[in-house]
Amino acid sequence: MSENLLDIKNLTVYYYRDGKPIKAVNDLSFSLGKGETLGLVGETGAGKTTTAKAILKLVPEPQGKYESGEILLDGKDVLKMSKGQLRRMRGHDVAMIFQDPMTSLNPVLTVGEQIAEVVRLHSKVSRAEATKKAQEMLEMVGISGSRYTAYPHEFSGGMKQRVVIAIALACNPRLLIADEPTTALDVTIQAQVLELIKDLKDKFNTSMLLITHDLGIVAEVCDKVAVIYAGEIVESGTAEDIFDRGTHPYTEGLFNCLPRLDSEEGERLNPIKGLAPDPMNLPAGCAFHPRCPYATDACRQSNPKPVEIEPGHFVKCHVRGIGKEDA
Amino acid sequence: MAPLLEVKGLKKYFKTGSGLLHAVDDVSFSIEKGTTLGIVGESGCGKSTLGRVILHLLEPTDGQIFFEGRDITRVNKKELHELRKDMQIIFQDPYSSINPRMTVKEIIEEPLIIHNMYKSADERRHRVQELMDTVGLARRLGNAYPHELDGGRRQRIGVARALSLNPKFIVCDEPVSALDVSIQAQIINLLQDLQRELGLTYIFITHDLSVVRHISNEIGVMYLGQMVEKTNARELFKNQLHPYTKALLSAIPVPDIHNKSKRIILRGEISTPIDPADECRFSVRCNHACEQCRKGQPQLVEAEPNHFVACKRWQELKGRMEADAPMEV
Repeated sequence: MSENLLDIKNLTVYYYRDGKPIKAVNDLSFSLGKGETLGLVGETGAGKTTTAKAILKLVPEPQGKYESGEILLDGKDVLKMSKGQLRRMRGHDVAMIFQDPMTSLNPVLTVGEQIAEVVRLHSKVSRAEATKKAQEMLEMVGISGSRYTAYPHEFSGGMKQRVVIAIALACNPRLLIADEPTTALDVTIQAQVLELIKDLKDKFNTSMLLITHDLGIVAEVCDKVAVIYAGEIVESGTAEDIFDRGTHPYTEGLFNCLPRLDSEEGERLNPIKGLAPDPMNLPAGCAFHPRCPYATDACRQSNPKPVEIEPGHFVKCHVRGIGKEDA
Repeated sequence: MAPLLEVKGLKKYFKTGSGLLHAVDDVSFSIEKGTTLGIVGESGCGKSTLGRVILHLLEPTDGQIFFEGRDITRVNKKELHELRKDMQIIFQDPYSSINPRMTVKEIIEEPLIIHNMYKSADERRHRVQELMDTVGLARRLGNAYPHELDGGRRQRIGVARALSLNPKFIVCDEPVSALDVSIQAQIINLLQDLQRELGLTYIFITHDLSVVRHISNEIGVMYLGQMVEKTNARELFKNQLHPYTKALLSAIPVPDIHNKSKRIILRGEISTPIDPADECRFSVRCNHACEQCRKGQPQLVEAEPNHFVACKRWQELKGRMEADAPMEV
């Protein structure tokens, strides 16, 4: 356990509206080893981004509340850190790349200043050294150091995302959280940015939590995968476990509803029936049961616990969680 | 049989402070009745502008548009009003394309009122209910406001509204891009069912290549306002003749961990469409560009039967590109 960089245990985060809880994250646990890349996959509203924000203790308070659980970063609970500790941790130990590069940069500062700012906050260096470091970072993400004095609006979306990556990696964080880092980009630019993230991650042996709804990107980048539904991890394991032996009915549904590149003419897609549940009003029992084609009475009554069906491969399902052969 | 829609040398230029922006530049194609033409390309390649020019939401700068054999390039207000019954559009963003202050029923009913389709309000209401059934919206939602509904249901309103006048032709401008995969699959199935039942013809504009392959009969690939390759959907995924198409298809992340096909990473980004030079517009990013690519623009030619490509070097590259990047799709 000590070799895990990040251990999230039974995390529950609610938002409150008019005194009623919106159950964004429910009893969620996963861990991430050093140098590993974990893909957190799920649809809109599944609690992906709330989980990411919780790791940095950035869930907006007081409307958001950490109900229970712990987030251990190198054995230290993030949720119990003081403001000073948090400030040192954010950007230094854990860095985040947000989805939208257009809004995550400051429009009135040059890109160089924004990179140098992080460097100066976290290490005792002179202004000149920070500038030099910022230029190096720009070069590293494939932008000429001479563009240090450019403003974000002078860059295209792909370039801005490179700047955001440079800021995130400026202090050699041990954990990089990438929240849909390429969703706002075109495919050819997405390919460039993914390639860059992979290279840099290997170079610095950074662990990464990649949040996405795109299973293609997960297949490309991740070693481990966790599938999140209604704020719970419903299945987790290595990429092989999920892609070759995906077991949870929701995982199965996600794969089935993708248009395949080798489909036949006139083939129909198999959407998961119904809609994702309202987190203000989660169904009793297993949250997926109203949409699940295999639901039984047990599923309607009690919420299943995660079961280890093969080493490291967990499934939270009454039907599929037992012997894989019956599935 | 004459095609339902035919476009010849269509151009749309916009004046900007720094020059003339060539959003759509000399695009020609035709669509048979009951089929789907997919238009793919990256942001800023002119695919949405193309859809809008065809529907006269934007006026073309040059070129001709034929609908059912009739030249509709220049139409007056009255003709345009009539044309709207035949040609409709489904927009990308179901959040901003419907009026938040109207109920679901009112939104779907509005085109019927504008076009005075029914004599009595009862008949009209009946038609609204029929449309809601067609697109799978529960009747109880008739009095709901758009903010009460999720993205998938809102997009169903957009589909119902587009269908209300019994059009023959619909431009689907990224209709599923804002939706989650499970909802996306529902809307794609709906569009395909409607096409079969009502004999609709679609232009399906998207940047999602797996979606476009699934839904289209033919696919046109656009780059900086021009059509660079066009052929049958399956043929395009088997045999790409244009280096841009090849790179674009290789960049799609495939949800399969065993298929680590080689990606072609393109240099740089899409260049500016303002006053482009007289050269192949892809040449600055192309791994195979040479002297001749920088002199004059390539024409879209029929390289193989029903397979059009705009690249001067397609013949020499054909064997070569296959050799360096075998695609397994």
